[in-house]
Amino acid sequence: MATGKMKIFIVDDDESVCRALRTLLMTYGFEIITFNSAQTFFEKVPPEVPGCLLLDIHMPGLDGWETQKRIMASGSKRPVIFISAEKKDDAMGRALNVGAVGFLQKPVNGETLVELINVASENYQMANHEE
Amino acid sequence: MKNKIIKKKETRNNLEETIRNQTDELKSKTGQIKRGVDREKIAQEQILIRTKAMESTTDGIFIIDATKPGFPLIYTNPSFQSLIGYSKNEIIGKNYFLIYGSDADSRVVEEIKQTMSRGESFHGEMLNFRKSGKKFWSSLRITPVRDTKGETTHYVGIQTDTTLMKQRNLEIEEQREELLHVTRVGKLAEFVSSLAHEISQPLTAILAYAQAAQRLLKDKEPKVYEILQYIINDDQRAAEVIRRLRYLLKKSKPAFEPLDINVLINDTVTLIMPHIASRNKVIKFELDTTLPQIMGDRIQLQQVLLNLISNSLEAMEASSDSLELMIRTSRKDSDMIMVEVKDSGSGIAAENMQKLFVHFFTSKPDGLGMGLSISRSIVEAHGGRLEAENNSDRGANFYFTLPIKIKNSQ
Repeated sequence: MATGKMKIFIVDDDESVCRALRTLLMTYGFEIITFNSAQTFFEKVPPEVPGCLLLDIHMPGLDGWETQKRIMASGSKRPVIFISAEKKDDAMGRALNVGAVGFLQKPVNGETLVELINVASENYQMANHEE
Repeated sequence: MKNKIIKKKETRNNLEETIRNQTDELKSKTGQIKRGVDREKIAQEQILIRTKAMESTTDGIFIIDATKPGFPLIYTNPSFQSLIGYSKNEIIGKNYFLIYGSDADSRVVEEIKQTMSRGESFHGEMLNFRKSGKKFWSSLRITPVRDTKGETTHYVGIQTDTTLMKQRNLEIEEQREELLHVTRVGKLAEFVSSLAHEISQPLTAILAYAQAAQRLLKDKEPKVYEILQYIINDDQRAAEVIRRLRYLLKKSKPAFEPLDINVLINDTVTLIMPHIASRNKVIKFELDTTLPQIMGDRIQLQQVLLNLISNSLEAMEASSDSLELMIRTSRKDSDMIMVEVKDSGSGIAAENMQKLFVHFFTSKPDGLGMGLSISRSIVEAHGGRLEAENNSDRGANFYFTLPIKIKNSQ
């Protein structure tokens, strides 16, 4: 089962948040790579490399919204889950509008996060199968 | 004979000339008189115009005789009379300063007298009293009138009612203060928002670490597993506080829904119960179970209740013999219900009573001064009132009203 699991990329400017989420998700058997900025993520991970992206919204430099826009523009089908402390009334709707799979408010509950990752992963694999 | 005739002719010529001269003189004198009459007429017209102008201006005008002691008034225009509320007969010949009334600011009156005695003009603003005793603010200008030798013979004064202007200035000042408040609250909201963001980062990390550790220790270390669960619970509690604080400062429109106030009180007390128990305090209820539903925002009203309850607990902190906190609900009238939070603490100091609900006012060393003012805004947004009073025996009572949900007539 673990072989079918998607790679997970975490982009958050807070190092401790990155490390903690990685520690948590590793207990579920995921392979995780963390980045402290969206720029380094784009530099290190080409769009065709499969994997789900956990994306913070408030970051210096490229913020979450801008990052998601770029991913969409590149034609990548990468599933993106926004994770943010921000809870504007429209944040969830806005996240889904820009093609994200979901929006979770910090602090994130592990099980909720994993459920969402699994749904995203299944959808992604089904979509790739059809192609 | 011929000479005689000539002489006669000369005499007649002389006579004619004299008459002509006299006629000319007469004509010129008549002209002079006529011109004099015209001039006088013009002068009279000018006096009339000036008098009319003084009588019809909306500023109060008065003239004081400076040659007599006691500053007697010798002229006042109608505007002055209506300004001070006395008739002409009541004030002509009277001391100008007496019409100020005994309540007038004696320092200002003294300053006016001093200025006048130096032969200078006075200009200032003062609080006056009408004959009826009604207060009014006026702008006053008194100027000496001098004769050809430079002696002051009269004082002429102009007095204008500035009460409305003053009131408007006060209103503007109040609005400015209000705006400042709003700005300060806005700044605070910003501050809280950035603080909330900063705090939610470590809370995210703590929760993830604790949940990871729980998964790793599951079935192996039940005691540690339990401890981790407490960490998770407290993390989520802290996150909830931040969420609520954010929600509050966002000043969003309340989301109204039908609510049972007694259920809401029970829910809220459950939240704060550990707090109450750890302080060895007891909470008592007198809830009217027949109360109809109200329309309200659950979270906001909970915030009000939490605020009032924790204030009460703090007030009871100091003395170990004040134990009891009482929450009572009742029907105030056909339109309103009432919620009371009564404590047996130290009560409210008299000097703090007025300022209780003012933004940023606090009597606590570490208080923000936001709780009660926000609570009052919430209750008012719900169409109710939040008030406070001291109990007759001990402690304070904070009570608020909320309108009953109006049933559709259909």
